[in-house]
Amino acid sequence: MKRTGFLIKTASSLLAILLFSSLVIAEDITIRLSYVGDTGNSAYLGAQQGLSEANLQGQFLHQQYLLETVPADAALTTDYAHHIAVVAAVDHDTLRKLLDKLPNIPVFNVNLEDDDLRTACFQNALHIVPSRRMKQDAVSQWLKKNPEATVTAQTWHPEFVKFAARDLNKRFTKNYKKPMDDPAWAGWAAVKMTSDTVARENITDPAKLLDYLKTSLLFDGQMGIEMNFRPTGQLRQPLLIIENGKIAGEAPVKGVANPTDLDSLGNVECAK
Amino acid sequence: MKYLSFIVLALFSLHGYAASTGRIFVTNESGNTITVINSETNKVETTIDIGKRPRGIGLSPDASELYVAVSDEDVIKVVDPQSLKVLREFKAGSDPETFAVHPNGHIYISNEDDAKASVYDPKTGKLIAEIPVGLEPEGVAISPDGRKVIVTSESTNMLHVLSVPEHQIIGNILVSARPRAATFSRDGKIAYASAEIGGEVVKVDAENFKILKKGSIGGEKAKPKDVLLSKDEKELYVAGGRADKVFLLDAGTMEIKKEIPVGKRVWGLAMTKDGKRIYTTDGVSNTVSVIDTGTNETVATIPVGEMPWGVVIDD
Repeated sequence: MKRTGFLIKTASSLLAILLFSSLVIAEDITIRLSYVGDTGNSAYLGAQQGLSEANLQGQFLHQQYLLETVPADAALTTDYAHHIAVVAAVDHDTLRKLLDKLPNIPVFNVNLEDDDLRTACFQNALHIVPSRRMKQDAVSQWLKKNPEATVTAQTWHPEFVKFAARDLNKRFTKNYKKPMDDPAWAGWAAVKMTSDTVARENITDPAKLLDYLKTSLLFDGQMGIEMNFRPTGQLRQPLLIIENGKIAGEAPVKGVANPTDLDSLGNVECAK
Repeated sequence: MKYLSFIVLALFSLHGYAASTGRIFVTNESGNTITVINSETNKVETTIDIGKRPRGIGLSPDASELYVAVSDEDVIKVVDPQSLKVLREFKAGSDPETFAVHPNGHIYISNEDDAKASVYDPKTGKLIAEIPVGLEPEGVAISPDGRKVIVTSESTNMLHVLSVPEHQIIGNILVSARPRAATFSRDGKIAYASAEIGGEVVKVDAENFKILKKGSIGGEKAKPKDVLLSKDEKELYVAGGRADKVFLLDAGTMEIKKEIPVGKRVWGLAMTKDGKRIYTTDGVSNTVSVIDTGTNETVATIPVGEMPWGVVIDD
């Protein structure tokens, strides 16, 4: 009696496994992203980190992510037709041409700080790294309270531990044996916000992804806030104030600006 | 105030349990201690040293043993709730934080750094199972019948529903950013979970793995953590983090009915078995607040150790 029960159980669980795996095969979707630029750039490692996290989530949702690499000199001759987004670590001129070439595909800028790329308000550009002006504003705010200081500003720091920054730093260092810097964080964020959107919204079309990222994104960048983009395509973000290589504070600087007013850093409007 | 606590005390006495110590145990993350509170007087009875960075805390099903995750020592320590002596300890993966005790006595714990949930037998300290889940697993909740376990993964933004004893993932529910704590309804069909950065509490169908309703916990400082159902399951209590409040939600509509001021950065919640009081850990105030669930007011504030994290009641 017991044995029969066991056999029935085993048979039915086998059947369940078979049914389940056929469903998995039927539903699996593959999402392709491109990384354009030097794979020696830390932005590439960040994008790889983002990819591993996208696939970790994807295994639960029957989604698979691929990151295909394109050398910078092939940036403008490559066919991106089957790619949902492009992570670009290229020079100023190549980025502008790439943006022209791919009007309906989100192009993430993960290394250029130039303000003119923001104020030009390209419809398909998503600047993850802060602009030069954003960094200058962060430093100016800090100097209003600490006139004697010598500081710089950046998005990320390997010693950033608040919120869940510690966890991301730990994961990155464990995988790549080096500290996470700004381009690495940008590469990670570009892939992760793409996979987040695909997972949540079932979006597989690049133009729909672009629209969602620019208008509806609430991204958890492991900095304790939900992040989104300015109409200029710049990612709104707090910045870290760095003094002698250590984190000295955060901007917007409390007492000088409203700490939640991320638009107190950098340009918010398009050049006319 | 005196009168209120007298009533509370009288009500509590009616419900005395012979085997229980009547103690409330609180882990103090920075104090490296456990505060022991007498639940009849709401006074601190004693404080015991436990080890570096104690966080998660729970009781065995028969309340004969108290378990404490001592994060920076990578162990769970087993304490006798009567004598308050540490009986033994066992390795519980890297940086153990949050766990739940199954009705069968096993401990289900999230391993934040390894994207895994682990199952330990606290009698032997043996690892029974490891289940790969999403990134930064955090909260663990077990259905009252013991058939289902929810593990939240903060960076994958999911509630993973595991079956017991198979330890298979039977469902994944994508929720808003950084899901933290979860709790089941008594029948195990419904679960509630907080999402820290999303500033939401979700009500989910734990059988069909779907979101039923979302409740918004307002304000940018509100980073919801522990969730707890009232005894009649009509209301949900949500620890509001730096909002310094416990939010009381209608568990049906998921709308806020009341905001109950407590101490600063409230994370942990525990309810007495009779459902009449809730104890909160106020991490920045170094206090435990006592909420009377009849009036939904804070009726007492108890100074505890440095940075209280978790709380459990042996009543």
